[in-house]
Amino acid sequence: MKFWGIRLVSILVAIGACFALQGLTGHWSDYAQRIVVLIGLYVTLAVSLNLINGITGQFSIGHAAFYQVGAYTAGYLTLTYFNSPRVQGMLHGLPANSRLTIWLLLMIIVGALAAALAGLLVGLPSLRLKGDYLAIVTLGFGEIIRIIVQNQQALGGSYGMNVTPKYESIAVIWLLAIVCIACCRNLLKTAHGLPFLSVREDEVAGQAMGVNVTRTKVTAFLIGSAFAGAAGALLAHFEGFITPATFGMDVSFIILTMVVLGGTGSITGSVIAAALLTYLPEYLRGFKGADGNALSLSGANVVAWMVGVALAVGLLRWVMQKHIESKGKRLGFYVGAIVAGAVGRIVGNLVFAHIAPLQDKQIPIDQVRMVIFAVVLIVIMLLRPQGIFAHHEFSWSLVRRLFKREEVPHTAVSV
Amino acid sequence: MTTALHLVAGLDFNTLPQQLVNGLLLGAIYALIALGYTMVYGVLKLINFAHGEVYMLGGYVALFVSYYLGFRPDKVGPTHSSIWNLLIMLVACMVICSLVGVAIERFAYRPMRSHSRIASLITAIGVSLLLQYGGALFLPNSPPPSISELVNPYHGQSKDFTLVAPPASLKATVDSLKPASDLAAANYKSWLDSHPGADTYNLPKDGDALKHAAQDAKGKYEDAQHKLDTGGVRLIIQTGQAVMLISTIVLMGALTYMVLFTKRGRAMRAVSHDFDSASLMGVNVNSIVLFTFILGSSLAGAGAMMTATFLGTPLTTFYGLVPGVKAFTAAVLGGIGNIPGAVLGGLLMGMAENLVVWAGYSNYRDAIAFVVLIIVLLFRPGGLLGSSKVEKV
Repeated sequence: MKFWGIRLVSILVAIGACFALQGLTGHWSDYAQRIVVLIGLYVTLAVSLNLINGITGQFSIGHAAFYQVGAYTAGYLTLTYFNSPRVQGMLHGLPANSRLTIWLLLMIIVGALAAALAGLLVGLPSLRLKGDYLAIVTLGFGEIIRIIVQNQQALGGSYGMNVTPKYESIAVIWLLAIVCIACCRNLLKTAHGLPFLSVREDEVAGQAMGVNVTRTKVTAFLIGSAFAGAAGALLAHFEGFITPATFGMDVSFIILTMVVLGGTGSITGSVIAAALLTYLPEYLRGFKGADGNALSLSGANVVAWMVGVALAVGLLRWVMQKHIESKGKRLGFYVGAIVAGAVGRIVGNLVFAHIAPLQDKQIPIDQVRMVIFAVVLIVIMLLRPQGIFAHHEFSWSLVRRLFKREEVPHTAVSV
Repeated sequence: MTTALHLVAGLDFNTLPQQLVNGLLLGAIYALIALGYTMVYGVLKLINFAHGEVYMLGGYVALFVSYYLGFRPDKVGPTHSSIWNLLIMLVACMVICSLVGVAIERFAYRPMRSHSRIASLITAIGVSLLLQYGGALFLPNSPPPSISELVNPYHGQSKDFTLVAPPASLKATVDSLKPASDLAAANYKSWLDSHPGADTYNLPKDGDALKHAAQDAKGKYEDAQHKLDTGGVRLIIQTGQAVMLISTIVLMGALTYMVLFTKRGRAMRAVSHDFDSASLMGVNVNSIVLFTFILGSSLAGAGAMMTATFLGTPLTTFYGLVPGVKAFTAAVLGGIGNIPGAVLGGLLMGMAENLVVWAGYSNYRDAIAFVVLIIVLLFRPGGLLGSSKVEKV
């Protein structure tokens, strides 16, 4: 009884949180709302890729393909059939807004099914391929889908497709994200998830213990791609405009980065990394210079920053490799390394300012943001290769441990 | 069935040899880049995503060296080039690219070696993004510069081979139509000469008839001439591209010699066979990894210099993205870690791409690489020449 009570309350809280978010962001600008929506979509994408990559250990780097399949399937169906007399006849008698809602829910399911079918197509060869071979096949599959869509005039070709009517709802997008998180989390917490972990840890041993490796891998691909497809369907209806360029290789890489940055296998990590990596570039875009226009840096400044970061990272790594027992001493060394980096940046700025071609070059902050993205990626990998959360999950017992210093038993599957 | 017939009917088999040769030239460059991927993978088991960016930097080095040699777009420089200029560019590209490769290995990949492979892979993606976007801040990329064609001493030269002569009847038709065409043109011209000041767009009746007769005869003659030109099987090879192919073969030969017959090459093969055991046997693993990066990156630099110079492609900082991905696909196709496999894969990939263009599906030329890859991997999971091991307890 208590179990069902907690379940019911958490489901209600989740739904409530989504609508609260919608209410909270209701008066925000379109731009800010779009960022909230993108974070929701990327959370879904990262968590679903985490199921394939982090939890099942199948190295897939073509997740944007499933996103695209979902988006284009849903977009095309809406464009072609929503206003047809038959569909309108079936939805007859409902208020106009709920007609669209019901249709959207249908489209989410259809998008998910189409993407799951694509996932099955990729999952089947994955039975024979491993590691890097699988990686390049998934990458190639993503490119093939993108190029095929680009050459279909019915889908708008490379110009893209206008999806009407639009459906702009933050709540639905975040609900999908929460459903995705809940699915993966529950899968991991129950016995159904153990086969996935065993495939990641040791396929042969898992097979010997009676795990159906084939079925597990294909299931992982099916579930992961279905969620990506559903996210795609929502994207198509939120933006109202999709082009093949929205689903390029770089998107796949960004999703993969989110998974790895958060810590492969950690759902919490994927969620937080997805939010950070979606917000960070937009945050950088917002910087203003002294004259009120977008900030631009001098070339010397950018080079000095790079020197400073390189110095700090190098020193931090050097300190990490030394086994310093005392906690305070170690902290001191860390602070020292960061201070050295800052000094390096200031000195570098003074030195490089004398180099005319560097000093005269003005670089708008807009161009620098992808560089910062790359640098963050490299720095995190150099300093914490297991990702921010490693394989840990957020849990109340973890919070208790932090505050009460309570001993909590470690388990293989994080609680 | 009808579609199949239609497909075959749409193909022009007379241009097939030309497309195959083009495929060979393109494939040789893919092979050159793929060698870098495959060697690094063989030694470190790491997909060096930044390899395409090393290739891109090679293109820029060639551009700057050509500026230094005087071939600047904004100044009038030398009008003639020599093979020495090309050699200087080639050597500069190879040296600087290998330095870049060594720096990437030393500062990004070596610290990651003790960590999981996916962490190294993400680092590689990070380095690749850093070079693409960081390079865009400092390197000239808008408008995309391209190397002056004057640097290429073989610019505009080509060799024309006739493999199959066109049918004699076509030649006879052309010969028979030529006098009529000439005669009609001469008649019209003499009429014009006798009527000075006539408006050629508004002629009197007799002049108009002569004009049309001349145009018709000329049209028939040119039509026959065109049929004659495309009737046979011809092969046009630009001298620059031939030089490119020969240099590629020489470089590959040098690589094969180094890998098979030198001490370092043997050490490299040992490391690629078993990293840990090789280090126990006294191989200096770090220096061998650096050596691998030097070889791979200098080949990429040479490839970039040749494509940028002989093909004249405009440079941006994303210049290496597509060739990089395709070359990596080629390496996997041939069996990653396998040196002859990379060459075979590269050539196949280049051929496949040009065959798709030949068949009239040029929109799909970027997709064919992956289609071939997936089909091959379904039947041979370890690539064409690679071996896939079944894992046992």
